Amino acid sequence: MEAAKVSTKSEKRKKGLTRKLVLSMLLVGALPLVIGLLLAFFQGTQEIREVSGTSFEALATETARKLDLVVADELSRTALLAINTHIIQLLETRRDALSEVKKNALAPLLQQENEAWTNKDSDLLSKISEGPIVQELLRHVGGTYLDAGFPVPVITRSTTRSLYLTDSAGRLVASLDDKAPYLNAGENWWKGAFHNGVGQPYIGPIQFDAQYQTYTFTLALPIMDSLRYEAIGVLRRIYDAKEFFAPSIDIIRFGKTGHVMLIDSRGVVLSCPILPTGTSLSDHTLIPLVTPMHPGWTPAPGDGHGGQATSIIGFAPLSNTSRITQSSNELSWHMFVWQSSEELFGPIQHFFKWTAAFGLLGVGLLVTLGYLAAHRIAAPIRQLQEAARRIGHGEFQEPILLSTGDEIEELAEEVNRMNQQLASQFAGLESQVELKTQEVKYLQESTTQILDSVPDPVIMIGPQEQIEYLNQASKEALVPNNGKVAGTSLFQLFQLDPPTQEKLRREIRLVQSSVLTTPTDAKPDQPIKKLHDPLSPTSLDHSGGDRRELRLNQRTYRYRWFAIPAPPGKEPGIGLVLRDITEESLLQDQLIQGEKMASLGVLSAGIGHELNNPLVGVIGLGEAIQDETDPEHIKEYARGIVQHGKRMASVVRDFTGQVGKQFSEAKTLVNINEQLERTLTAVQAVFPSSPVEVNTRLAPLPPLPAKSFELGQAFTNVITNAFQAMKDGGTLEIATAVLNNEIHITIRDTGKGIEPIHLPKVFDPFFTTKGQGEGSGLGLTVAHRIVTKLGGQIRLDSEKNHGTVCLIILPITSNKPMEHKEA
Amino acid sequence: MLSSSLPLKAATDPPPRGISPEKVADYLHAIVEADRKVYTTQIVKRMQEQGVVLAREDWESKNAIPLPAQFLHYSSKIVAESGSGIRFRLISLWPIYLRNGPATEFERKALEQLNANPDVPQREIVSTGKKQFFQAVYADQAISSSCITCHNSHPLSPKRDFKMGDVMGGVVITIPLED
Repeated sequence: MEAAKVSTKSEKRKKGLTRKLVLSMLLVGALPLVIGLLLAFFQGTQEIREVSGTSFEALATETARKLDLVVADELSRTALLAINTHIIQLLETRRDALSEVKKNALAPLLQQENEAWTNKDSDLLSKISEGPIVQELLRHVGGTYLDAGFPVPVITRSTTRSLYLTDSAGRLVASLDDKAPYLNAGENWWKGAFHNGVGQPYIGPIQFDAQYQTYTFTLALPIMDSLRYEAIGVLRRIYDAKEFFAPSIDIIRFGKTGHVMLIDSRGVVLSCPILPTGTSLSDHTLIPLVTPMHPGWTPAPGDGHGGQATSIIGFAPLSNTSRITQSSNELSWHMFVWQSSEELFGPIQHFFKWTAAFGLLGVGLLVTLGYLAAHRIAAPIRQLQEAARRIGHGEFQEPILLSTGDEIEELAEEVNRMNQQLASQFAGLESQVELKTQEVKYLQESTTQILDSVPDPVIMIGPQEQIEYLNQASKEALVPNNGKVAGTSLFQLFQLDPPTQEKLRREIRLVQSSVLTTPTDAKPDQPIKKLHDPLSPTSLDHSGGDRRELRLNQRTYRYRWFAIPAPPGKEPGIGLVLRDITEESLLQDQLIQGEKMASLGVLSAGIGHELNNPLVGVIGLGEAIQDETDPEHIKEYARGIVQHGKRMASVVRDFTGQVGKQFSEAKTLVNINEQLERTLTAVQAVFPSSPVEVNTRLAPLPPLPAKSFELGQAFTNVITNAFQAMKDGGTLEIATAVLNNEIHITIRDTGKGIEPIHLPKVFDPFFTTKGQGEGSGLGLTVAHRIVTKLGGQIRLDSEKNHGTVCLIILPITSNKPMEHKEA
Repeated sequence: MLSSSLPLKAATDPPPRGISPEKVADYLHAIVEADRKVYTTQIVKRMQEQGVVLAREDWESKNAIPLPAQFLHYSSKIVAESGSGIRFRLISLWPIYLRNGPATEFERKALEQLNANPDVPQREIVSTGKKQFFQAVYADQAISSSCITCHNSHPLSPKRDFKMGDVMGGVVITIPLED
C-alpha cells in the first residue's frame, strides 16, 4: 500500500518537470498571445467605436444642417406668399370688414358660411378656389406657371398635399382644393401661427392624415399686415413628410446598413430609408440618449430598429428647425445616424476569429513542440536523478555519459567527479572502519577478559536498572546454574528487602546525576573522582553505621558504584563493583577479639605482678605475725598487711575500671590527656622495675568523641612498644598539642629503634620483631585501625639505636570531612 | 402732426393732460436702447472677455447666449405678445434675414435719412387698411466691435464694411392710434 503510494508519487514527480516546462512554455508563449489578442480586440473595438462614433456624429451634424437649410429654404420660399401684396391687401380688407361686424353677429355669420362651404355652395366654392389669389397660390406650387425669378423645385411641388389661406378669423380665403376646412381658428396650427396677432412660423408634428392617406406635417405662416404690425391671416401648407425628406435622407447610405434617419423628440420617425414614416422607435430608453440639443454619439444598448446588439449612434438636432417646432409644439427634430453593429464590428470580429484560430493552432504547436523539448530536457535530468539515487544508496556505478552540451552535461560531469571522490573516500574509510572495528573488538575482548579475571563481581546496568553486563566472577557468585540474566532488572538478581532496595535506588540516582558522595558519617576518604577506580586498595572500610555492604546469598559484599560514560545521545550506565568480605570481616572480628584477649593477658600479667608484691608482703607479714608475740610488732605487721591490702584493692579497682569499659560500645567525650596518663600508669605497672624516665608535656586539649577503651588500647600498644624497646633504660616523652584543628600526640622513646627494612611493615598484622610471648604482632595494626576509624593518622618514624617517634593525629571535629595529609 | 387728431377729442371732452406719441416713442426707445446697451456692453462683452460664455446666433444648441440683436428680437416678441399694442423691431437696409428688411416705403426712407443723419429720428403716421399708427425710427449704431465683426463676416450679410459708429439699421417703434 505505502509502496504503491510512493511509486505513484515518484511517477507524478517524474512527469512534473515535463509538465512544468510545457506549462511555462505555454505561459510564456500563449498567455501573452491570448492577452494581446484580447487587448487588441477590445482596443480595436474601442477604437472602431470611437472612430465610427465621431464619424457618425459628423454625418449627423452635416445632414441636420442640410435638412435645416432645406426647411429654411422651404420656409422662406413659402414666405414669399406671405408678403404677397395682393394677399396682404385682401386680408387687410377682410380684417377691416370683420372689425365692422358686431361681436354677437360674428358667430352666426361664421356658422352660416361654414355650412355653405360644407354643402359645396357654388358661389363660395368659386370664390375660394378660383380668383387671382388662388392663381398666386397655384403659381407658387407650380401647377401651370413658374415665376422666372423663383423656380420652385420639383420636390416642393410634388410633396405639397395642400395649400390654403385663412383670414384673421380663421375663415378659409383661398385654397387649391375643396378639401380644406372652412373654419380654422380652433386648430393648433392656426393658433400657433397667428399667435394672438403677433404671428410666428409654425411647423406641426407629423401625423397621419386620413384625407391624404399619408403621414403629413404642416407648415403654417402668419400673413402680417403691410406694416408688419399684426397678423391678418395664416397660410397653411401640408407636406407629405416621407416625400419631403426622402430625397435628402434616403440617398445617404453607407455600407450595407448604414443610413440616416430623421426623428422628432418623441421618437417618431419622420423619414428613414428602412423604417416607415410615422412609426415610433421601439426602444424608448434610446430616445433621450439621441435627442439632446447638441450633436454627439453614443454606444446604445439597442439600435432603434428592433435589434438588441450594442450599436453606435450618431445624432444631431436640426437646431434652426427645432427652434420653430419647439415654440410650435415643444418637439424638436433630430438626425440619427446608425449602422448595424454586425457590420460595424464585423471586420474586427472576423479578424479576431481568424487570429484566435491561428492562435489556437499556435498553442497546439507550442504544446507539441514544448512537450518534445521538455522531454529532451527532462530525460537527462531523470538519468542524473537515477544516478544520484543509486549513489545515495551506495551503489557506485559507471560514469554517466551525457552529451547535451549544456549545464546538464556539466552537472553530469560534476556528479561523475563526485562519484569518483566518494568512491575513493569510501575505500579509505572502509579500511579505517575495519581497523577501528578490530580495535574496538580487541578492546572489548580485553576489557571483558580483564573484568572476568577480576575476582570481584562487576555488574553494569543501564539507566533502567536492567543488567547489561556481568563479569565471570559475578556470574559465578550471583547467577545460579548459569541462568540468563542479561536485560533483567538488577533487583531480580539481588533478592533484597525493600529498604535496602530503596537505598540502592537512591544511590543509583545519585550516581546518575553524578553527584554521588559518601555518606556523611562514613570515612570521607574518597572523593567522587575515585569512584571510577573500583579496585582501589583503600576501599577497606569497616566503618560502622551506613557502611556500603550487602548481604547476598549468605555472603557479605562491600560495594561501590561508578558511572560509565555513555556515547553521545545515550543515558550513562552505572557500574557496580562488589567485594566479598565475608571471610575478611570474620577474620577481622576474630583478630580484634584475639587482640583484646592478648591485651587482657598483658594487662592481667601486669595486674598479677602488681598484686604479687603486696601479696608477698601480706604473706610475709602474716607469717611474721604467726611467730611474733610482741603485740607491738603484731600491730606494726598488721598495719603493713592493711597497707598492702589497700594497695591491692586499688590495683583491683583500676583493673576493673579498665576492663569494665572494654566492651562498652558507646562513644563518649574523651579527654585525651587523661586517657594518656591512665594508660601510662597502667603500662608502668606492667613494667614496674623499668629504668625508664617518663616526661610528659600535655597541652590543654578539647574533648574528642571516641570510645575511650579503644583509644586507650591504641595508646597502650604504642606505649608498651616504647617500654619494650627501652629495656635498658631511656626516656619516654609524651606530648600533646593542637595544630591546624588537629590533636597531635607525640610518643617518643630512646630505645633500640626499628630496622629501616621493617619500617613499612610495622602496621601489618602479625608482623613483630619481638621475642616469643612478648607480642602478638597486632598491636600497631589495631592502633592503626582505631586511629583511622576516628579519621586520624598514625605515623611511625625510627632510627636504629636512637629511638622511635610515633605521631598520632586526630581531627578535632570528626564530623567534618578531613583534609587527608599524606605523610 | 398727431395733434390734428387730438384737438378733435379735445373739442368734445375736457382736454386731458396727454403725452404726445413722439414723447412716448422717445421714452420707449430710451428704454429699449438702454436695455440693449447694458446687455451688449455689460453682459455679453464681459462674458466673452472673461471666457465665461460666448454669444452666438445658434446659442440654443451651443451652450451660448443670444446675440444683442437677438436679444432685441426676443424682447420685442415678448412686448408684442403682451397685447399692449406697442411694438418695436430692428430693421436694416442690409439685413442678414430678409424679414428684418424695411416693410414699408416709409421705413426704407427713414433708414436712408438716418444713415445720413443719425441723430434725427424719423416719425410718421402710417396706416394699414383702416388702421392708423404712429411710427418712429431711431438710428441703430455699431456700439460694439462684436456687432461689426459679426455682420462683416456672416455668410448671409449683404454688407461687409461696417465700422464702429456706423448706422447699421434702425429701431422702429409702432404705436397704434385707436380709440
